[in-house]
Amino acid sequence: MNKIKYLLISFSLFTLHAQAQEADSLLKALDSGRVASTVDAAFKSTHVVLSHSSETQKKHDLDLRIRHHFGDIGGRFGSAHTLYGLDVATDLFIGLDYGVTDDFTVAVGRSKQDELFNFSGKYKLLKQKTDASMPINMTLFAQLGWIAREPLNNSEFAQYSDRFSYFFQSIISRKFSSRLSLEVMPGYLLRSNVEDNGDAKNLFSLGFAGRMKITKRLSFIADYTLVNGLSRPKDLTESYYNPFGVGLEIETGGHIFSLNFMNSEYIVENNFIPNTKKSWSKGGVRFGFTISRNFTLFKSKKEDPDKKSKIY
Amino acid sequence: MNRIRKITRVLIALLLLHLSAGAQNFVSKNIRIGLFSSTPLEDIRAVSDKGNAVLVSKTREIVVQLDVKTLEFDRKLMQEHFNENYIESDKYPNAKFKGVIDQPIDFTKDGNYGVTVTGTLSVHGIDKKRTIPGKVIISNGVVQISTEFNVACVDHNIKIPKLVFAKIAEFITIKAEGKFNPLK
Repeated sequence: MNKIKYLLISFSLFTLHAQAQEADSLLKALDSGRVASTVDAAFKSTHVVLSHSSETQKKHDLDLRIRHHFGDIGGRFGSAHTLYGLDVATDLFIGLDYGVTDDFTVAVGRSKQDELFNFSGKYKLLKQKTDASMPINMTLFAQLGWIAREPLNNSEFAQYSDRFSYFFQSIISRKFSSRLSLEVMPGYLLRSNVEDNGDAKNLFSLGFAGRMKITKRLSFIADYTLVNGLSRPKDLTESYYNPFGVGLEIETGGHIFSLNFMNSEYIVENNFIPNTKKSWSKGGVRFGFTISRNFTLFKSKKEDPDKKSKIY
Repeated sequence: MNRIRKITRVLIALLLLHLSAGAQNFVSKNIRIGLFSSTPLEDIRAVSDKGNAVLVSKTREIVVQLDVKTLEFDRKLMQEHFNENYIESDKYPNAKFKGVIDQPIDFTKDGNYGVTVTGTLSVHGIDKKRTIPGKVIISNGVVQISTEFNVACVDHNIKIPKLVFAKIAEFITIKAEGKFNPLK
């Protein structure tokens, strides 16, 4: 009898004790089924300075992007005569990027240089997860460039297909902390129109880029693309340089402004990867800016009224 | 005589044990939690159906927790800004309210109670002592709760830059509702 009593008391003590922590332990049990979420926004924008970032447009979002590269700040073409390059527009670009799905973006753009039209697709293949199951983002990028200008001489564009160039890149990024994201971009460019006869038609490139947040809305961005020293011949009559850009990116919710400095005259990969002829060390740095405005198209009509936003 | 007394004691103990086992716990994995910000320029809404909650009827303790990344906005970019710039969900993934219902409730009987719950609201890594109003409806062993209250962004160190101040309200309205099921 005593034994039973003892058992009963100890059991009720046990249940009391269990009850004191019950709410938290029950919550933990409910929580345990949760799956790891993705790490979003490694980069704020779909571009860094010159290069693409691993980000894609959100579904049904259209991004209008206007970019401008001025002339040399220093050197023979710079200084006060050209107001440090501000008199010159080496390249202008207007483009539209549209998110078909959250992971797949199509884009069209047009540059002043070569009257180049570009058409591209960008697909986010892998997404970084909050747990260790996926440490990186991986985005595949393919771009077609079409030179629309008149040929400079009779032999240029002997065949119509010589006007086209193709660029393929895989963009591997990781958000290391809320402040720091880095990426590596191996790429391959196929082209027919070569400025220097000794130059290789097809070029390997290896890009590096990063974003460092200074405040929540202001980031320092930089990218560098290695072209020389990979598959490119060394004995060229022209000297080509590796494109390197740094910038400040300001985000105001829907708009992104970035103020850039770079040695490349050109804006689109198919141009700046093979043809950058200016150097940081010889006053060939120029100022440039990007204005990007995001529009949301096709909002679903069946949408939950509890998540409807409205702009008056 | 002594023997009878002992048996009665055991019976009482058993009865108590039975009672404590009868004190139900309730859980829910789909509490609907929404937020609403209203200014003359813009109305912003977001909602999630994935709130977790626990109710211990004996102590009247109630905990509601939300993975803030599950909040859905109709504009994905807005959702990204919310997670990146305001709530910093990678650093502070959960919003949580843990409190005790101030009024006695008989969870075994059907009824409709207006209550207040006193406890701690944790949002953006900052704990704030709050007493919030709510409703508890009990029918056929199912407990239903609902609440609506305001949260001041400044209380939880959520900074809205001057540039976008006119678009986001200083007080965000939070609504939560859902059904608890008894845990067997």
